[in-house]
Amino acid sequence: MTREEIFTKVVEIVRPFAKDKDALAEAKLETNILDDLKVNSARLVDVILEFEDEFDIEVEDEDADSVNTIGDAVDLIAAKVG
Amino acid sequence: MTAPSELLSRRERVMLFLQREVSRFTSFFWIPATTFTMRYLLGYRIQNATRLRRRFREMVRESDGPVLICANHLTMVDSALVAWALGGTWWSVFNYRWVPWNLPETRNFASGRISQLAIWLTKCMPISRGGRREDVSKVLRHVQHLLTRGDTALIFAEGGRSRTGRVQVDTVAHGMGRIASSVAGCRALCVYLRGDRQRTWSALPVIGDSFYVDIDMFQPTSEQKGMRRSRDYARQIAGRLARMEEKYFARRQRRS
Repeated sequence: MTREEIFTKVVEIVRPFAKDKDALAEAKLETNILDDLKVNSARLVDVILEFEDEFDIEVEDEDADSVNTIGDAVDLIAAKVG
Repeated sequence: MTAPSELLSRRERVMLFLQREVSRFTSFFWIPATTFTMRYLLGYRIQNATRLRRRFREMVRESDGPVLICANHLTMVDSALVAWALGGTWWSVFNYRWVPWNLPETRNFASGRISQLAIWLTKCMPISRGGRREDVSKVLRHVQHLLTRGDTALIFAEGGRSRTGRVQVDTVAHGMGRIASSVAGCRALCVYLRGDRQRTWSALPVIGDSFYVDIDMFQPTSEQKGMRRSRDYARQIAGRLARMEEKYFARRQRRS
């Protein structure tokens, strides 16, 4: 799976949790999930668990600590799916 | 599970030890001052305090593992009320490990130099909810370290004050489950506290309010792994608090 495909899927997964739909429409790798997309911090866990289901990976709490931006999520997933 | 010595750097461990010991030394002043303020200046009362404290002491005496105190959250002084309700004044001073570490929101309590010093002295580690995950994670690692070393910490099940005035199982703080699942043998001491005149969340309880407090200890378990396990733990704890809340309102309805 390419990074572009992962990026597209990540944006789709984040969509229902993002309060700022305009920022989501212009999402880039540098887009911060909490600050820019206004995802509730308590819901970030749900977002990451959706990544687990979608990409069939397992994410530890410590892995999730590095996820601040869309790009961080793409990096994490890319590393897990190999 | 991470070994306790790997959770923090040597410098972090030394700083935490320093904070703990200075805080313990000054507790002869700040614990009585805090309870005096709540009891006599604000007129707060803990219902059945003697029985509650006896039960708490029995629980901690019987518990040979780490204990994480998990409470509902309605006002900005809940952490002080919980500590007072469970330990009283002088028992807390002389059994300092059972005075819980607190994680106040940085924006509310740690914005100025004086308040930073005050919370440092009173066993607090400020946390920015919704802040950078690395920063939140660092505070959680400190709590994990403290629990494995025999201290206890208080964490609010929903992170912040409940905007509905009721325990919300769906918006439970993941960090609570993360700590409970990452510390071997960790038990959750659930504390449900509510002033009789507390309708919903607020900055402070009503002056002269009387507080109902219920406690219940259990060890969460889960077949899940990773973050799902942490979420499972958090939901079990929040579920327990929600049932304690139901009990409170059923009791109140019977009395009215």
